[in-house]
Parts: sequence; C-alpha cells; structure tokens
Amino acid sequence: MTRRVALLLAALGIIAVAAPWLAPYSPETQYRRFLYAPPMRPHVIDAGGWRTPFVYAIEMTDQLSQRYAEDRDRPRPLPWFDSDAVDPVFLLGADSYGRDLLSRLLHGARLSLSLSLVAALGALLMGAAIGGVAGYRGGWVDEAAMRSVDFVVVLPVIYVALVLRALLPLALAPPTVFVMMAGIFALVGWPFVARGVRGIVAAEREREYVVAARSLGAGTGRIVARHLLPACAGYLLVQFTLLLPAFILGEATLSYVGLGFPEHVASWGTMLIEAANPNAMQRFPWTLAPAVAIFLVVLVANVVLQSDKIGSNLIRRA
Amino acid sequence: MTLGRFLLRRALFALLLTFVASSAALLLTLLSPGDFAADGTFGDPELMAARRTQLGLDRPVAAQYADWVSRAVRLDFGQSLLYSRPVAGLLGERALNTAVLAAAALGVATVLGIPLGIYTGTRQRGAGVRVVRTLSVVMLSMPPLIASLVMVLFAARTGWFPVGGMMSAGASEMSWAGWMADVAHHIPLPALALALPLAATLERLQGQAMSDAIRQPFVRAAEARGLSSDQAMLRHGWRVSLGAVLGLYGLMIGSLFSGSFIVEVVTAWPGLGRLMYDALRARDLYLVAGCAAAGAFCLAVGTFLADVLLAVADPRAHMEARS
Amino acid sequence: MNRHSRALLTILIVAAILIPYWLLNRDRTPPPSALLPAAAPVPTRGGSAVASTRTDPRSFNRLVHGQIATEIVSMLTLGKLVRIDRVTQQLEPWLAERWEASPDNQIFTLRLRDGLRWSDGVPFTSADVLFTLDAVYDPRTQSSLASALKPGGQPLARSAPDARTVVVTFPGVFAPGIRILDNLPIFPKHKLEAALAAGEFAKAWTADTPPSELVSMGPFMLTQYAPAQRMVFDRNPHYWRRDEREVQLPYLDRLTIELVPDQEAEVVRLQSGRTDFMQHGLRPSDLATLRPLELQGRLQIEELGVSPNADSFVFNLRPERWAKDPRGAWFNRKEFRQALSHAIDREAFSDAVFLGTAVPIHGPITPGNKDWFWASVPRYEFSREKARALLAGLGLANRDQDEWLEDERGNEARFTALVFRGNAVLERSAAVIRDDLRQLGVAVDIVPLEPNSILQRIVGGDFDAAFVQFFASDTDPANSKDFWLSSGGVHLWNIGQKAPATDWERQIDELMIRQSATIDMDERRRLFNEVQRIFAENLPILYFAAPRVYIAASARLINLYPALTPPEIIWSADTLAIRDGGTSR
Repeated sequence: MTRRVALLLAALGIIAVAAPWLAPYSPETQYRRFLYAPPMRPHVIDAGGWRTPFVYAIEMTDQLSQRYAEDRDRPRPLPWFDSDAVDPVFLLGADSYGRDLLSRLLHGARLSLSLSLVAALGALLMGAAIGGVAGYRGGWVDEAAMRSVDFVVVLPVIYVALVLRALLPLALAPPTVFVMMAGIFALVGWPFVARGVRGIVAAEREREYVVAARSLGAGTGRIVARHLLPACAGYLLVQFTLLLPAFILGEATLSYVGLGFPEHVASWGTMLIEAANPNAMQRFPWTLAPAVAIFLVVLVANVVLQSDKIGSNLIRRA
Repeated sequence: MTLGRFLLRRALFALLLTFVASSAALLLTLLSPGDFAADGTFGDPELMAARRTQLGLDRPVAAQYADWVSRAVRLDFGQSLLYSRPVAGLLGERALNTAVLAAAALGVATVLGIPLGIYTGTRQRGAGVRVVRTLSVVMLSMPPLIASLVMVLFAARTGWFPVGGMMSAGASEMSWAGWMADVAHHIPLPALALALPLAATLERLQGQAMSDAIRQPFVRAAEARGLSSDQAMLRHGWRVSLGAVLGLYGLMIGSLFSGSFIVEVVTAWPGLGRLMYDALRARDLYLVAGCAAAGAFCLAVGTFLADVLLAVADPRAHMEARS
Repeated sequence: MNRHSRALLTILIVAAILIPYWLLNRDRTPPPSALLPAAAPVPTRGGSAVASTRTDPRSFNRLVHGQIATEIVSMLTLGKLVRIDRVTQQLEPWLAERWEASPDNQIFTLRLRDGLRWSDGVPFTSADVLFTLDAVYDPRTQSSLASALKPGGQPLARSAPDARTVVVTFPGVFAPGIRILDNLPIFPKHKLEAALAAGEFAKAWTADTPPSELVSMGPFMLTQYAPAQRMVFDRNPHYWRRDEREVQLPYLDRLTIELVPDQEAEVVRLQSGRTDFMQHGLRPSDLATLRPLELQGRLQIEELGVSPNADSFVFNLRPERWAKDPRGAWFNRKEFRQALSHAIDREAFSDAVFLGTAVPIHGPITPGNKDWFWASVPRYEFSREKARALLAGLGLANRDQDEWLEDERGNEARFTALVFRGNAVLERSAAVIRDDLRQLGVAVDIVPLEPNSILQRIVGGDFDAAFVQFFASDTDPANSKDFWLSSGGVHLWNIGQKAPATDWERQIDELMIRQSATIDMDERRRLFNEVQRIFAENLPILYFAAPRVYIAASARLINLYPALTPPEIIWSADTLAIRDGGTSR
C-alpha cells in the first residue's frame, strides 16, 4: 500500500512539476486561426519510408463549421522539436480559442493536482490534530469535537463550497483562488479524517505500551507524536488517497459552475466548461480530454486503494 | 442508552442541523455583496432604491434575519424574489423532483450493487468475480460530474434518450400513465450517472461484509447442520452483513444530494440542486436559505432513517453507535 | 490485484475510451427526407407550436418588469395602440386603426377599432388606454416604462372624447411622435382598477397570479404556467386581427413556451425536434451544428442581415468612482479608451468570436440600423503602435519585468470587466479582448456574473468596465434618449446624472434634445451624426462587431415574419402557422 501510494504521488508530482517543460506551448496563447483544430496524428512513415515521428500541417477548409484538412505536402516535426510558434502543432487538438489542449492539460494537471494535494494535506493535518486531541483527551473535548464532526459530515459539501465561494470578492488573482479553494476543501474534508483518527487514538491510548510510556513520565506531546500518531499512519495514508480524487473533482465542479479559477487559467475544471456543451462535445470530442484525465486519476487512486484490505474496509467509513 | 432515547436524540440533531444550515446560508447570502433589486432591465437608481425598499433589502442584516427566523419557525420561508412565489411551494416541487431522481438512483444502485456484492462476496474467485470487481473499480472512478457528461454525450449521439430535463412539453396534460412513461424516459441517464459510483460502493461493501459473514462460526454451523451452503449464506450470512450495508445508506443519501447537484446542473433536471444554484446566482436569499434548509432536512432525515434501520437490523449498533 | 484482472482492467480502460469514439463517429445521417412543397404553403388555422426561452417570467406585469419573459407574455397576450413593424421599422395601426396629427405635431388623435373585446368578452375602450397611462405614470407603480413614455421628461397629456377615441398631447415637438406608444401594452381597467386605486398596481399580475385571472387582448391567452417548466398559451377567441382572406388570427391553436435555463439545452431541444424555435438568433457555433438538419429538411435557417445591436464594452466614467482610485488618472482619459480601441483587431475579433459572420463596427449604430447608420463615423484602425503611443502619453509604460504596463506611481494598468454569465458569445468576446489587451500590456480581469448583478452594479456605478448586451427598443435614436441623455437610466457609463459631468456629455444632451424636437429628417440625421462623432471621440463604450442574425425554426413552421431583434420570431406570433394546419404532430 505505502509503496503504491508513494508511486502514485511521485507520478502525479512529476507531471505537475514538469508541466511547464513538458508542455509545448503556453496554455494561454490563443492561436486564432486554429479554433477547435483537431488533434494532429503523429506519423512515422511516409512515401519515402520510415521517418522520425512527424505530423502534417493543417489548413482550415471551412471557417463556419471549423473544419480542417491535413496538408500532405507539409510535414512538421513534433511540437517539442519545432521552432515555429506561429503555426503550432496540436497533438491533442485545440480548444475553442485555439489554445493547445495538450499544454492546457499539462498545466491544468499541475494546478488541479497541486491544489488537491495542498487541500488534502490541510484536511489531514486538521483532522489528525482535532481527532488526536479528541481521542486522547476524551471527555467534553471529545464530545464537542465529534458533534462538530457529525455536523460537518452531514452538510452537503458542494452547497457549503458554493455559498463560501459566493461570499468572496469577484475578481481574485489565481493564487488567491488557489488558497481559498484549498481552504474550503480542507474545511469540509477534515471531519472524515478526524473521526477515524479519534477512534484509533482512543483505542491505542489504553494499550500497554502507551500506558507504560505514560507511567514512565513521558509528556503528552511526546506520547501523541511518538506513539499515537504513528499508529494512525496507515489510516491517514488511505484517507489521503480518498481525499485526493475527491478534491480534484471538487475543483472541477467549482470551476465548472464558474466559482473556481477564471476561464483563461488552465485547470481541469475550467477546461471542462468548454467540453460541457453537448454539440461541441460531439463535434470536437478531444475537448473531453480533461474528463478522461480526471477519470484516470480517480481510477488509479481506486486501484491503489483496492489493492489493499484497508482500502475496502475504509469504504465503509468514507 | 435505550433505543427510544437514542432516536429522540438523533431527531433533535436533525432539527438543529436544519435550522443551523439554513440560518448560515441566509446570513452568508445577506452578508455577501450584491442583492436582488435589479430585475433584468436597466432602470434609474431611484427606481432601484424604491424596489429595494419594497423588498425590504435595505434593512439591517440583524432585522432581516430576525424577521426570517420568526417566520421560518412557522414554516413560512418567505417569497422567492426570483420566481415571485412562496419559497415553500417551490421547495416542495423541486425537492420532490430531486427525491424522484435520488430514489431512482438509489434503487438502481441497490439492484445492481447488492446482488453483485453477494455474488463476489460468496464466490471469492473466478472469472465472473474478476469482471465484476474490475467493473466496480471503473464505476467507482466515474464520479457524477464525469458520468453525467458522458451520459449527455451518449444521449446526444444516439438519440435514444432526451438530452436533458425531466418532462417533455405537454407532459402535464398527459394521463398518469403517460406522465410516468415520459418521466421514465427522461430519468435513466441522470439516475445512472448518480447511481454508478454508488452501485460500485455497495457492491464492494456487500462483498466485504458477505465474505466476513460466511466465515462466522454460526454460518459454518448452519452449513454443518445440513443446510446447503447457498441457503446458509442467504439466511444467515446476508442478515449479518446487512448491518454494515444499512449503515452505508445514510451516508449514501448525503453523497446523493451532493452528487445530484452537478447531475442536475449538467442534465437540466429541475431539482433542488439546480434551484439552489439558480438562487445563489441570482442572490435570491430567501430561496437560498430555503434550499439549504430543505437540503439539510433531507440529509438529516436520511441519516436518521439509516440510524433507525441500523438500530433495528443490528440492535448492538445503537449502544455503541456515535462512538 | 492479480495479472488477469490487471489485463481486464486495461481492456476496460481501452473500451471506456473507444466506446465514446464509436458513439462519436457513428454515421447518423438519415436518408434525405421527402422534398418539401415548392410553393409557399397557404397558412391555415390549427396546430400547435412549441418554443423555448431561458428564464421564467418574474411577473406578468409588463408595466412593472421589463425582462424578456415578461415581454414575451405581454407580446402574446396584450395589444398596443400602434405597433412598429419590427421588420420594416415602420409604424403600423394596431388597436388604433388610424390617427391624425395636429399641424404642430404635438396632438395625436387615435381612433380605436370597432368591436374590440378582451378575452373575457368585456369591450375594449378608450378608458382602458387612459387607465394604462395612469398606471404607468403613477409613481407607486415603479414602472420601468415610465421614463420611455415621458418625452422631454413630461408625461403625455391624454383624454378620451368617446369610447373609441384617444387624444394624446406631447409636451413639445417630439420627432418620433406616437412611435413611443409602441412601448405601451394596454392593460384591462376592469381587472386592475382596484389595484391601481389602492396603490398596489406594482403587486398586481405577479408570476403567482393564476392564469385564469389574466385577460388577454393579444392573439393568445396564458392558460397554464408551470414554473421552471413551461407557459402554455391558447388561442384568444376574441382576437381582433384577420388575415387578407378574413380568416381570424392567430393560426395556431396553442403555443407552448418551454423554460430551458441554458443556451445549449435550448439548441439541443431544437435539434431533437422537441421545440420549434427559440427567442434569440443562432450563435455562429450553432450554425454548424444545425446545418445538417437544414439539409435533411427538418429545420429552416434564415439569415436576416446585420443586427442593429452590438455588444457594448462599457467603461465606468462616474467621477466619484475614480476620485479616490489612483487608476482614475488614466482610466478616465479618453486617450486611454482610444488606445484600447486601437488595440483591438476587429476583423480578427469577428473571426474568432463570430466565425466570420459579423461586420466590424466603430460605434453604437450598426449597418443594421439603415436609417441612422453613418458610414464615415471616426474609426480607430488596428495598430498596437498607435495604442502604445497613446498609453505612453498617459505615462503608462512597462517599468518592471512583468508583462503589464504601470503608471508613474507604479499602479498596474489593470481593471476588471464584468461579463454576462451564461452568454457564450459575450464570454467568448471577453476572453478575446482580454487576450488582445494582454498583448498591449493592459490587464483585464474578466468576471462572469449574473446579468442581474451586473445591471445592479452598473446602476450603482460599482464596476470598472462591463461587457453587456443591450437592445434598443427602437431604431430611432430619439426613442433611446435614456441611453443618450446624461440624465437617462440607460446612460450606461454614468447613469442618471443630475447635470452632465463632462462637456461632451452636455453637448450630446443638447444635440439629442434638438434632434428629437426636429421633424426634418435630413436635419435630424445631421445632428445625430454629430452625436456619433462626439461619441466616437470620447468612447464611453467600445463596439467591435455587429453579428449577422440567423434564426432557425423547425420546417413545419410556416409564414414566419422574423425581425432582426430578439425575440425574432414570436414578435409576430399571430401569423405563425403550422404546415398543413398542424395535421402533422
């Protein structure tokens, strides 16, 4: 389990960190002559035999219906080996503003993934702290913490996020939106963590080794840090794997309904706005790329979870 | 704690939750910038001010809140500014639509998830089990946002189902049967979009609970007494696994409400989620508060019902529940 | 997870990607339908049509609310004394069959048609007209029509010598004359008299009034309203209008208006044949979607010409807004707005936003407004150099390493622009403008917002810039004085001023007042061209492109008489008919 989670994190991390270098173009540059340009298929073979991978340039054939045709006389290298920034090469196609979908997807991965990472970490920290204290102290602290957990858990998350977002000023710089969304997600996510941590801590606290440590005069902080929290590590890891995809979706949903990042910023959610139009979806299916990306990330997270017994046990609690 | 006291406590909690959620929504909307006085046309500032006075939007927040509370306790949620109709009536209609959708999704999830879970839980291995397990991981990874987009694409492409909405034109004049048939034609896609991940969750949980249950001594014992293994499982194993599964239903109602929001927005289902979304966008504050109240109430009732079910199915549960 | 299930999972993932592709690429072109009859079919009575609109009516009371759904209800169920034919822009007799003007063009005597009846059978008389005018001018009504019906700020004097005669007297010479009565739907005195007397007219005929309590003077009566779902209109048996063959209109027995909150969903319904038409023209992207259906003979698509309306990029020029804001030093200067105008490539804009189906424009009057368009209005050709030079003259230059310009005190050249949310064309336009200005070094933060909130902010002066859609009710500028006059309620850049804030607004005020008090058309045009010149110099609003208007309707709908302005089709609902009298469907 641990290794798989680490692997998953590493893979996502690499994509997110390396996005600016992997992306062939700026995610915000509008190539106005290539609105909804289709993905250009890489070729390795032409009339003269094998070649290094290349694509054929495209030409607009019908402005109104946004049709393009391959120009077989104009082979072009793949975007990373291509210095021409005027006529870009779209491996995944272009969106309605002629922005390169591949670049947006990569930059979007960076934003969406880092947002949910930060939010998940925030939720874990809050949840572990509150749950830990509640489980360790017991009594009224425990009662109060668990009642508020009950309360937040039962709130319809999306409505809370909607109302909280609607409270904030209209034009927010993307970094501010980032912090704000991470905050909202952490706020609605911590109770799920806290509930489990509290249960584990409350049970562990009565175990011999903890009692022994206490009788040897170990301080509360030391006991919590050295004995109780490590006992929760596995649980936290699983919660993390559950929260991550949930927050990716949260970002997508909020941005989709217009309460997340501004349109020009590339995130998976803002990209979905384009794809949501059933007619555009039919004619330009490549705009659904972010949906496929979200699906794959959630799928991988679920496979990691499922590979372990803890995972399936936890579905019950999630 | 006796069962009665336990249930009473839960019921009180449900009421408190409803009240706090709706108050919070109202206050947040009152505090947030912008209000409703504009009506879709331009007008001079004096007209706007007059309209605001007429709607009572120029009073202090505390006064507006107190006014709302005093009426809310009498179940009068005020007038929707957006629709010029009493909020309560609107909520009733829309909550019913959401309930129809949620119930259909829950039904589909149950019909798909439980039998498959029993199947995978008792068989443990085999090609069929692998197919089901793999499918359920895939379904689990199709959150409503993605699933509803896929469903819309499916409907638009095949033309087998309407692309959105709940009823066709003129459905209200149809006979009961015609109306039902019409809604039944609209419901499969949004309901499926909501139900797929739930069905997967149910399958996983039921499978787990089932495989735990059949290892229990008394199921083994029943088998030893000569009951065939299938009968033993159905009679005993399933009952035992029921507790765990029922506990999930309460939580599922929660995720149904959150999930139905985006499904309603994407597939234009005229439900509570869509209503709240429109109300928030138009800053129709009584409607926002009303929606929050209705949403929280449905959730609280859902959790309450799940608690009751759990308490009935597994009498041990309420003693240690809420630990 | 073992090896087998891993393989299975891979297969499933591949399938999950391929199946959508199969769905996408399936050929769905049905065989071409039977040829349509060549000759224009003769409209007959019968049948029903289904239209859609996006919002619920907030009220059925058009005197109080002016939003599109209310306007549609009013068009279908009420009548006006005279009507502007929205296709020819000419005034035509309606409930009044003829009128005479006094020699000084200030007193108009209108003669009502004989035998007019409300849908409940009560006769329609001049008393209803006087009642409606009283209701509009009553301050307690808070009527959104009041200012439009006060030429020169004064109410019309009115009297009724007999039951079929109405005399209205203008406070001075007013060039459009009784064209302004096109704004005024007549309400039934016998139903609403009590409400007006009690000062409750504003609360009468709200959206929760049962349809049975409404009476109709229009072609249809509202018989059913299911909020968020539909409005059903049935034939008004007492409707007065007949076609040239003396067939009583409307042709349709029933007109249903579905309430579909979203533009995409509306198009999808039109595509699937669930609705017959919409209340607004097609967006360019819809054209490509719907063309195949036109070829199959299921839809008719018609190009109507260049729209007389264009989206407006409004700057907030209210002095109070910028008094404390350091950006006011350049934002409030006309050179700044001129620079922005230079920075927009209007040809490229109309390609990117309208896919080439638009014409570049340089002022509020588009070529679609044939009477008042002025071809030689001053232009700001696309030139980033000129734009930069103008900005440099304001002290805006790039003083640090980022991509944005700053003024001398280090304030970034940055402002927010509100844009109607849910309006795909406007949102697209805003994104394109944002990108163009980014290349100039001017940062625009686009904030999509509900139209309501935007209007409220514009009225309250709480915005930097806004990209809005705004339709003039009449092509005659004298009928849009709320827009031109500094005291007007639609003087978007600084609404409702007590006295003109700037010298050029004062000049426009004077020219517009003179213009509307002049009868001679050439002189009016000369004065109005001068207004357009001053406007173009000061640019309180930028205009980029006027779209060509395309409408789509299902092929079974005949006898359309579509106008250039929305609601293009339903404005003439009484003549709409179904092919073969609706025996189909």
